[in-house]
Amino acid sequence: MDNTKPESKTTEGFLPFYTNAFDRVFISVVILIGIHLLWLRFMEPALPIELATILSLVIGFFVVRRG
Amino acid sequence: MSRTQRQRAWGYFGAYAFWIFMTLLTLIPIWWMLVVSMRTRVELFGRPNLMLSRIYLENYSNVLTDSTFQRYMTNSLVVSTANALLVMILALLATYALSRYKLAGRDNIFFWLITNRMAPPAAFLLPLYIMFTRTFRIGNWTLFDTQLGLILLYCVFNLPFAIWLLKGVVDGIPIELDDAAMIDGAGLWGVLRHVIIPLAAPGLAVTGILSWIFAWNEYLFAANLTSVVARTITTALAEFVTVTGTNWGELAAMSMVTLVPSAIIVIFAQRYIVMGLTFGAVKE
Amino acid sequence: MRNPRVGWALLSPTLVILLIFGFAPFLYVLFVGFNQWNVFSAADGLVFNGLDNFRRLVFDDDFLHSVGLTARFAIFAIGSEVVLGFVLAQMLTRDFPGRSLFRIIHTFPLMVAPIAVGAIWRLLVIPGFGPVPFFLDRWLDLTYQIGTYPDQALMTSVLMDIWHWTPFVTLTMLAGLSSIPREPVEQAKVDGANRLQVFWYVTLPFLRPVLLTTIFIRIMDAIRTVDEVWMLAGGGPGTRFTGIYIWRVVFPRTDYGYGSSISLITLYLTIVLCWLLFIAISGRRKGEVE
Repeated sequence: MDNTKPESKTTEGFLPFYTNAFDRVFISVVILIGIHLLWLRFMEPALPIELATILSLVIGFFVVRRG
Repeated sequence: MSRTQRQRAWGYFGAYAFWIFMTLLTLIPIWWMLVVSMRTRVELFGRPNLMLSRIYLENYSNVLTDSTFQRYMTNSLVVSTANALLVMILALLATYALSRYKLAGRDNIFFWLITNRMAPPAAFLLPLYIMFTRTFRIGNWTLFDTQLGLILLYCVFNLPFAIWLLKGVVDGIPIELDDAAMIDGAGLWGVLRHVIIPLAAPGLAVTGILSWIFAWNEYLFAANLTSVVARTITTALAEFVTVTGTNWGELAAMSMVTLVPSAIIVIFAQRYIVMGLTFGAVKE
Repeated sequence: MRNPRVGWALLSPTLVILLIFGFAPFLYVLFVGFNQWNVFSAADGLVFNGLDNFRRLVFDDDFLHSVGLTARFAIFAIGSEVVLGFVLAQMLTRDFPGRSLFRIIHTFPLMVAPIAVGAIWRLLVIPGFGPVPFFLDRWLDLTYQIGTYPDQALMTSVLMDIWHWTPFVTLTMLAGLSSIPREPVEQAKVDGANRLQVFWYVTLPFLRPVLLTTIFIRIMDAIRTVDEVWMLAGGGPGTRFTGIYIWRVVFPRTDYGYGSSISLITLYLTIVLCWLLFIAISGRRKGEVE
């Protein structure tokens, strides 16, 4: 494959590889699902799941804007 | 004998010893299947004998003369051939589009296509079953238990794989050749016919062969989305285990028979398989 | 000169088929994954239960065990296949009489249907008339019973997978090796590199895309293996891989809701793993000189 960078707009963010907007949304969704699953396993009875949603939305927002 | 000649002789010897060993490992399971297929039920038990004691063909004749088996075999041939052809055509068009046109997010498309192949089949059977029996329905006709249904469904795992195979091949064809043909007045079809297809022929061949083999070998979908008319040969294999209290001799005979068509194809197309499987390793 | 619309038109039949037969079922599974739907339960049809399926899933030891087992299966099988496939491909690049014959014989297992592969191996290992347990017992005094010992069942499925799929790896490696240009290799030899250095600094970088793509495809297919392992061991201990676990939840127990949520998580893990590999394949890592 000869394309080192995807052609769609890429940004220089903190992630260790070139990403376009779609990639960053995908990464946020992956993080969102991961956090929720871990939360269900380790945190849930003590802390409600909504906290996980808020946490992952914040991280997701950060990834999409700065990734 | 000179030193280099002696070295070469030892090299040959080592290579042959290695290959004979590997060949034995490869063939023992198939050989055992052949042995089992030529035994009666009683002969199978007791001390395992890896030698073929006699040629006993009743298992084969039982299988081959069975009209159900003949129907299954025809279905399998039709489904896998049609699927392989369809996959070759669609994959060629899709790959050409992904390789030559600046489509928005084509990297993403390329990756997300292959995720179709990742789905664990068991849970996806249910929506497919509903779709086949209820959604696609014209009067009394449904997609369930038809060859067409299987042909289209097998595209889900074969098409992405085919596009992945072909992408490297088409990327390896210099775009200048396309341009030259276009300047000579060739349209899209002209370019495909006179430039892409001839140059991508080995890749296309291996795509077709592997799709054919995957379709021929598929079991889970065929077993659950057909009932009588369109059943394929692999479902018959499984039926031997569950329904008839496992008649190992006939099971082995049938496995041998299902091997034959793919064996023929692979032997004749051996050359293309290696030429075509480059996955984009060719860089100019 | 190249109108993207034409490109989309060429891509559209593929996309349509995949949307109907791949994406639509996925949406359905996604929907069912958030519902309770069990034919044997008191409630009729689908009952929305939010995250309850996933709550149950993260504490389900059988499921977690199956993920671990699948990971072990994939690592053992694919690791051996890559090493063995590379060695075989390297042997096949040399020219010797009878080479194509060996190559054809070696391609044989690839053509056997997974379900037939399972049947063949079951014939080999079944207690009573299979030769493997018999000779292991007679010559090495080993008790070999895949129905009883989980480790033996796991190793048997790994061996079966190696037998079945090494040819595929060999063929892709062979294609990769034969497309490596000669000059860099010769140049490295002239510069006094030994064979290991040539392999590490010249062959391997050239082979990287093929190698990673092969691993990618093998991982994908190893995770969704159901039929051949099912045929071999009937879902016995040691072979309860995730695919088979889903099968057992969905079919004998008809617990569709829970089965769907397990499928979703399995798909999630597969996609994440494969996406990382894809990033590695397409060389999108920063600071990498092409």
